[in-house]
Order: sequence, then structure tokens, then C-alpha cells
Amino acid sequence: MTVPTDSGERRRAGDRPPLVTELIDGATVQEITEQAWLALVGEDEVLVPLPAPMPADALSSWVEIVGPWTGSVVLTCGRDTALALTRALLREHAPEVLIKEEDVDDALGELANVVGGNVKAVLPGPSVLGLPETGSTPPPGREADTCRVDVLWRGEPLTVSVQSHAERENEVPL
Amino acid sequence: MTVRALVIDDSRAMRRIVTGTLEGFGYETRQAGHGQEALDVLHEGWVPDLCTIDWNMPVMDGLQFVNAVRSNPAWRAVTLMMVTSESEHGQIVRALAAGAHEYVIKPFTADALRDKLALLGLLPQEVSL
Repeated sequence: MTVPTDSGERRRAGDRPPLVTELIDGATVQEITEQAWLALVGEDEVLVPLPAPMPADALSSWVEIVGPWTGSVVLTCGRDTALALTRALLREHAPEVLIKEEDVDDALGELANVVGGNVKAVLPGPSVLGLPETGSTPPPGREADTCRVDVLWRGEPLTVSVQSHAERENEVPL
Repeated sequence: MTVRALVIDDSRAMRRIVTGTLEGFGYETRQAGHGQEALDVLHEGWVPDLCTIDWNMPVMDGLQFVNAVRSNPAWRAVTLMMVTSESEHGQIVRALAAGAHEYVIKPFTADALRDKLALLGLLPQEVSL
């Protein structure tokens, strides 16, 4: 696992701010996500590191991290996958049990919160973790400044992105 | 004797997971969605042996709740356990300094929670380690 340490050196004004991929790698993000899945979704639930097309009705949940590095940790999957995740978290396996939209928002948000909190611990700190949000339009990030992991859960696509905010540069220790 | 726990988390799913685990250990549980709601439960007279406390919550966060409980001598016997995804060393130190007894980082397993409760002497005797 990559754990950046503060060397005491600081960037000069003209230096390029480090990309998030220089602070955390995909393997670490995947490991954090897998730990969350095993503990929250189920002991037998595995994530297969394979990309697949995301359904058009994708739903995202995200938490913001504000500190020396500022950005978001975004979890995205199809709505059916989000519903299945919610059933797993709530331990509601009976199909006749109605799952409300607010339950889906809550469950997907909590997954983003747990993954985000552990991502925050790896990034330079101290920083503040925001409350989770859920919706179809996550905050915009910079494509070139994103650490993205594509996995399959029960054969369905799911992505976890650690993305710098589009509108600001980060001030992290070298 | 029944051990009582108040599970404080803004996520219904997480409350379900924590209460399910604690009830599996023989606990009697109640739930609160944030710190203020939890304080209301204590004020009404339902004083638990254990509070599990998320950090980031609306209305009143976990650290504010710990400070509020510790400022009331009547609740001195309540064991406070942070159960949160806040895993920075500085945050852990802040919570313990404020009066939390234990700190569990999400995600956690039922075994990890059981081990922490055993250390705190809050595991009913019929639950084996």
C-alpha cells in the first residue's frame, strides 16, 4: 500500500502539483474497496478487476475530501446493482421486501463513506471527510488527474474513482 | 444480565449492521441517527452500557456527542466506542482525548468488534472468543 509521508519539502510556485496517481495507486484503491465489500456486503462477495460498459442509468455516491489534497471519492454502478448492494447491506434477501430509494441512497452513500475514509488515510493530511451524497451526476473531476478502478461485482460493472476537483490545484507535500 | 447498546450512525444500513452484530452477541439495542438524537435517548433515561458512535453525522457529530456525554457525571459509566471510517491518527487521538474508550475503523468484521468488546469487558459471558 502506498503511504505518502511528509518530507518537509514544499512545492515551489512553478512546480506542477502532483497527480492523484502519484499519491495513491489503483491497487491500493482496489484493496480498500475489497475490504469494504468483505465487511459490509458479505464475506463471499468478490470484486473482479475487469472493465465493462456502465449502464445508462448509472447511480453514483461520493464523499469529498478537503485538505492538502482536495477531491472526491466516487463510486458508480447501475441502478439494479445499487439495489442489489442495498439488499446485501441491509441483509434483506427476500425479493418481496420493498427497498426504498432512500435506502439505496443510504447504502451506496455508506459504501462511498467507508471507502473514502480509508482513501483519505492514505492521502496527505490532515483533511476533512464530507458527508456522503448520492445522485446521477457526481462532481466533475479531471480525467487526467483521476485514479480509477473498474471492477465487476456479481458480473455487473462498478467503478471507484479518486478524482481531484476540476477547478482547483492541490497543495500537497512533495 | 442484559447489556445495552445505543448505536449512533447516520446510515441506516450501518446501524442495521452494527445492531445485528451486537444483538448476535446478546445485546439489547437502540438506534440514533445523530448525536443529538442519541442525547435525547440518554435524557429520557435509557442509559446504555455502550454507545457505538460514528464520527461524521449531521446535526451533532460523534466528537460533539462524546464531549456532551463526558460533561455529564451521570453518564460516567457509559462506555464510548467510536465506529467510524475516520482513520487518520490525529482523529483517533482527538476522540480518545475527548473521552472515547475504543476506536474501531470501518470496515470492521464481527470478530474485530467482538475482540474490542471483550477487551472492554462488555462481552456477555455466553459469547465465546
